[in-house]
Amino acid sequence: MNNLRRKRLLSVVALVFTSFLGVFLILKALNSNLDYFYTPSEMINIEIPDKKRVKLGGMVQEDSVKRNGTNISFKITDFNHSIDVSYNGVVPDLFKEGSGIVAYGLIVDEILIAEDIFAKHDENYMPPTIEISKK
Amino acid sequence: MKNLIRSLIILLPLFGIYFFFNILTEEKFYPGADFRSFEVPNFELSALDIDVKYTSEDFDNEFLMNVWASWCITCRVEHGFLMKLNNDGYNIVGLNYKDNKSDALGWLKKYTNPYSLNIHDPKGSLALDMGVTGAPETFLVKDGVVLVHYSGEVNKVIWDNVFVPIIKENKMFQ
Amino acid sequence: MIGEISHFFTIIASCLFLLSFIFSTRTYQSNHNIEILVSRVFSYGFYFILISFLLYVWLAIQSDFSIKYIAQHSNKELPIFYKISSIWSAHEGSMFLWILFLALWSQLFNINLSKKNILKAPAIGLLAFILFGFLMFLLFTSNPFEVILPIAPINGADINPVLQDPALAIHPPFLYLGYVGFVIAFAYNTAFLIKGDMDINWERVVRPWSLAAWILLTIGISLGSWWAYYELGWGGYWFWDPVENVALMPWLAGTALIHSLYVSSRTKALKSWTILLSISVFSLSLFGAFIVRSGIIDSIHSFANDPQRGLYLLGFSAILITISLGFYAYRLPVLISTNLVASKSKEAFLSINNIIFATLIFAVFLGVMYPLIFDFIYGERISVGPPYYNTIFAPLTFLASIFLVFSVGSLWKRSSQLFFINSALSASILLATLITLYLVSLFNDFNWWFVGGLFSSFLILFRYLILIIYSFYQGNYFNKASAIAHIGLGLLILATTFNASLSYEKVINIKPGETYTAEAYEFTLINFDLINESNYDSVRAKFSVKDINSLNKVFFLYPEKRKYFIRGQITSESAIKITPTKDIYMTLGDQLDSGYWVVNIQYNYLIRLIWIAAAVMCLGALVTFTQSYSKK
Repeated sequence: MNNLRRKRLLSVVALVFTSFLGVFLILKALNSNLDYFYTPSEMINIEIPDKKRVKLGGMVQEDSVKRNGTNISFKITDFNHSIDVSYNGVVPDLFKEGSGIVAYGLIVDEILIAEDIFAKHDENYMPPTIEISKK
Repeated sequence: MKNLIRSLIILLPLFGIYFFFNILTEEKFYPGADFRSFEVPNFELSALDIDVKYTSEDFDNEFLMNVWASWCITCRVEHGFLMKLNNDGYNIVGLNYKDNKSDALGWLKKYTNPYSLNIHDPKGSLALDMGVTGAPETFLVKDGVVLVHYSGEVNKVIWDNVFVPIIKENKMFQ
Repeated sequence: MIGEISHFFTIIASCLFLLSFIFSTRTYQSNHNIEILVSRVFSYGFYFILISFLLYVWLAIQSDFSIKYIAQHSNKELPIFYKISSIWSAHEGSMFLWILFLALWSQLFNINLSKKNILKAPAIGLLAFILFGFLMFLLFTSNPFEVILPIAPINGADINPVLQDPALAIHPPFLYLGYVGFVIAFAYNTAFLIKGDMDINWERVVRPWSLAAWILLTIGISLGSWWAYYELGWGGYWFWDPVENVALMPWLAGTALIHSLYVSSRTKALKSWTILLSISVFSLSLFGAFIVRSGIIDSIHSFANDPQRGLYLLGFSAILITISLGFYAYRLPVLISTNLVASKSKEAFLSINNIIFATLIFAVFLGVMYPLIFDFIYGERISVGPPYYNTIFAPLTFLASIFLVFSVGSLWKRSSQLFFINSALSASILLATLITLYLVSLFNDFNWWFVGGLFSSFLILFRYLILIIYSFYQGNYFNKASAIAHIGLGLLILATTFNASLSYEKVINIKPGETYTAEAYEFTLINFDLINESNYDSVRAKFSVKDINSLNKVFFLYPEKRKYFIRGQITSESAIKITPTKDIYMTLGDQLDSGYWVVNIQYNYLIRLIWIAAAVMCLGALVTFTQSYSKK
């Protein structure tokens, strides 16, 4: 019985230890992979650390889309401020001036170098940040 | 120890549910509603039925502005509630959005007209300036200032929870 | 008129389910007649909801636009197939289908379960209660029968063309069938906990139902990923979108459940864990429904939202979870088996993998919840990127593969010989190491996940290959179902590893007459066709592609851009060329002023194998299902 008890105690200790380790590792992975979500107005007011990818949500500003080869540059606006975005690749079908989109990438010299551009499969879509900032 | 585990099994999910409850009951969890106020932008558009031009100067009283179109099914659903509002004495201005004149007039004739007047915005230019992304959308306007912008169908629940508090607060439609 | 009848039948069904539930609470008098009554009233309830749904399908086919939901989501010009699938294209109708499937599973269970089973009446009663709760949700917060008065519109709404797709139309039914299928395990085990008679053999009853649900859920998720791959134009098969994640959680929990059920039916160990899992799977399905339908999380797939719905779902889930977990906690002391798990026994390895699965579920759950918690506490919007999931899933999958391989050929309730004493195991480790080393140097990719993925997939494949060859040679018995399913897993790991390592994309500028060479292919843009269809215009590019590696064989790709007339929506139709090792995936971008077009070319390696592997896994589970069903 004593032997059994010691075995049980040992396995409980091992279990607690590994679960703490597991939770620690998961949280660590989580924290290093968080993408912050901003509107242009928010983004203007904060410092974004270097090499930190961000999501920027808003509307594609009218008359701001310029194409150059496979590269496309435009401004994302929330009707108060706007941020320049540059992207190399095929934009989503629902991308057009005045449509709501989210750009994901790095800020370099106040320009968002986008790696991905998302548009929602709903014409009435507005980026969630705009919804939030309305409140 | 055993009792601790037993109570944790129940308490953890309940805590999660309490958390969601908090989120859902947060003030004004109505994603379609926008409470930022702004002035009605400058525009010059003609009426739907007669050849009269309206400009932003003409809109300095209290009214609801409803964005609609004959191609929009949800507008058809919303129509019944707008009729009720009209009967209750609310002044509703229609903004006919990206629609052609004859379809729009046919629609009004068929389903009866809840609007006191209709502005025709075939290219959606005023709508764009007002931040319209589709139809139906409804604005509450007082003295040329938009107080509420609601995207989607206005029904009794939305009316009572989104519009009525603002109307009372601003002592409108008295 | 038919609309009203359909509505009325649903109301009758709700009343019958309520009645069945009330009867079931009277069964403690052990009055046999009442038990029969519970089951019979339940059947009537099922028939009413079934007829109601069939009438609704009829309404959709007839394009009865006096029904608000049908007017909003269907259109006269749609083919019949899409008229029917429009029923589950939005919240109200899909909830109706969800409930129908819930009733269907429950009724099958009701028919199949012997009258003598003492848990039948309480289990059916609980199912009736769940059905009643969801029907109230349907009728009061999301009524699909609501009518447009006084005049119906002449035609319905314009359907988003992205949604007119066969895979999109059929994957929700499979997903729902899978989700709600786990309700049987939930209800039966909760009934078991309420009754508290520890001699009841619930594992045998619950196992085939959980397997069937697992198969359907796997099919649903695979179809969804296949649809996303060829229709959305992004070329990926999994995006770690919140809604994908809430489908993945019940799947992971379901996978753990069918394994843990296997253990507890064989060894009597892990009983309390298995029951906790069976409660968790359905709870996670409810969580998924809540997340998707409350609008709490913003996603491509989520339905338009309304806080009332969220609150109702939350409240009802709270009741169900409190009942089941309450009784679980109450019975826990008697549930915990005194059987210790022998170290290095088969059940020990399966237990370890169960812990790994629990960790994965926790990680996904955290990934879904963290943005909400963060927003709640700090008021900032964040999202959790795919790298988070990858860094957790990859190593844990490799670890699980190793324990899986250990479990092959190990014995129940006894320690097994491991490592070098076990020749089959050491042979597969050796072979897997060799081939991994070879492939790593061949592809010159030394990423830890590439090495790990190759090693674990080949480890699994070789271990089962040796098992099969050995068993055939010796004429021994081996678990064929498990071998098939796990070979599927090995292929899945192999396919995802290669896909992640080798796939890449190129964005090019090209105009008619020009040629672009990428890898061993020469892409020549020949011309554009303008096509006029009944509901859209389209620009279709014709590319001739020369395959330099195979004797300059030429094939053609036709990526397309469509503009639908109504509301002018634009969609891209990607062109895909399937080759044995990869897909060449081409999407047409925008036209530039200079006459050039932006074109995206992707090479997606082994992507077909992902769905083939999923199918193999389902096949394995199907074999187990038929065995456990006949044994039941």
